[in-house]
Amino acid sequence: MKHLILFVAVLFTGSVFFAQQSKVLSSFLSKLNSVKDYSVNARIVAAVPMIKIKEVNAVLYFKQKDKFKIDTKGIAVLPKQGFIELNQFLATPSKYMSIESVGKEVSGISTIMVTVIPNDESTDVILAKLWIDPKKNVMMSSQLTTKSSGMLTTTYQYSDQIKYGLPSSLVFEIDVKKFKMPKSVAANIHQTKKSADNKDAKGKITIYLTGYKVNKGLSDKVFK
Amino acid sequence: MFLNNTYNEFIKIAAKPRSYIGLIALSVLIAVIIFAMKADGSTYISFVTASFEQTLSFSGDIMNGNLIAFIILQMLIVHIPLLVALVTGDLISGEANMGTIRMLASKPISRAHIVLSKFLAGAIYTLLLTIWLGFLALYVSRWIFGTGDLMVLTSEGLIIHPESDIEWRYLYGFLTAYLSLLTVSTLSICLSAFAENSIGPIVTTMAIIILFTIIGTMDVTVFDTIKPYLFTTHMAAWRSYFEDPVPWEAINESIRILICHNVILISIALFQFTRKDITS
Repeated sequence: MKHLILFVAVLFTGSVFFAQQSKVLSSFLSKLNSVKDYSVNARIVAAVPMIKIKEVNAVLYFKQKDKFKIDTKGIAVLPKQGFIELNQFLATPSKYMSIESVGKEVSGISTIMVTVIPNDESTDVILAKLWIDPKKNVMMSSQLTTKSSGMLTTTYQYSDQIKYGLPSSLVFEIDVKKFKMPKSVAANIHQTKKSADNKDAKGKITIYLTGYKVNKGLSDKVFK
Repeated sequence: MFLNNTYNEFIKIAAKPRSYIGLIALSVLIAVIIFAMKADGSTYISFVTASFEQTLSFSGDIMNGNLIAFIILQMLIVHIPLLVALVTGDLISGEANMGTIRMLASKPISRAHIVLSKFLAGAIYTLLLTIWLGFLALYVSRWIFGTGDLMVLTSEGLIIHPESDIEWRYLYGFLTAYLSLLTVSTLSICLSAFAENSIGPIVTTMAIIILFTIIGTMDVTVFDTIKPYLFTTHMAAWRSYFEDPVPWEAINESIRILICHNVILISIALFQFTRKDITS
């Protein structure tokens, strides 16, 4: 009986250990970690229900480990999470376990799906699903579910910076909860018909990234 | 003679201390709003963006001079009619009250021209008040808060106008706001033609604005037929320039109705004053 318990214990521990190690994810992270810093020009196109905004140009700055800044001349609408939160979370493998399975085809590329489950219940992340191209070690799509912001689906496209795993465009799909308009500030005398029902809907924010400057030794002053 | 009389009428307005109450009150009110926004503007902004911030974040300088100007206009456009009526409601009845109306009527100028010159002087005063409002709201706010994109909350949602697309909206917005205030000015001058004291037309003008505003805001079907014809319904037409797309047809309709009000009110005043039996 003792041997059976020991055998089951070893088997269980072994399976968990096996599950925590996703080689595809490790390869993807090691590629991503080769980027110490970057700056890139961004063109942000937001198509979010109840928000009308024209294209906005911005400059994005990133420096390891967690420095991130967006410089915009005007007002830009961005997903609350999605730029570095996922990568920051993935950067500490002890905080989660990952399980590989066969993924879907994203932009004509067969992927491996890596399901990431946090070990700690107190983290904001509930679940992350990553679709990774195992040949080029780049993330093709991700679905991040958080306590604070709901579900965020991101699709990535790559061009010249694929060697660093840096995308040329990101498409964020967000769950837009029902917005409540304060009547006192939103009164419209010319509105003869009632507003369309503002039910939960999907919003899309596309960010086109060009002119990457990678590992050029970005100063910390940029982030102040 | 008409222009000379208009000039004289404007001098009379400028000579009255009450004419400066409007300008001073505007300056103080705008200073208070700017101070409040400088001290705790982020709370106001979060009130507007709170519904969106669960899933989205806004990057960039939201609290800028363009937004402050919009907030100021929105807050004050309801109260400025009082400041206008305070001066224009006195233009004819004030003469009757002081006993100078007989002397005025004995001048070599027709009664119609006397009334029209008073309307013109009132219109110039209203224009100066609007320009002062625009200067303080837009330029002083931009000087203090800087410039940037304008975030506007409408019943259709949130609209973010690029900085380059704002100037003309404010220009047309102020012109339409001026037309609204001009309607208040002509209403009070018209009422002034019927009165013998200063207070009556001023109070009556405000009472009419309050009554019409309440009718306009009551969601009762019985008032639906008259609401489109009340001038108060169209006093916030300036706001429509900040919609996207701009509801030009609705704005033109508002402008037409406001102009109709002005023409009718001036005609009534002319009719009344030219037939008035001036005995004192």
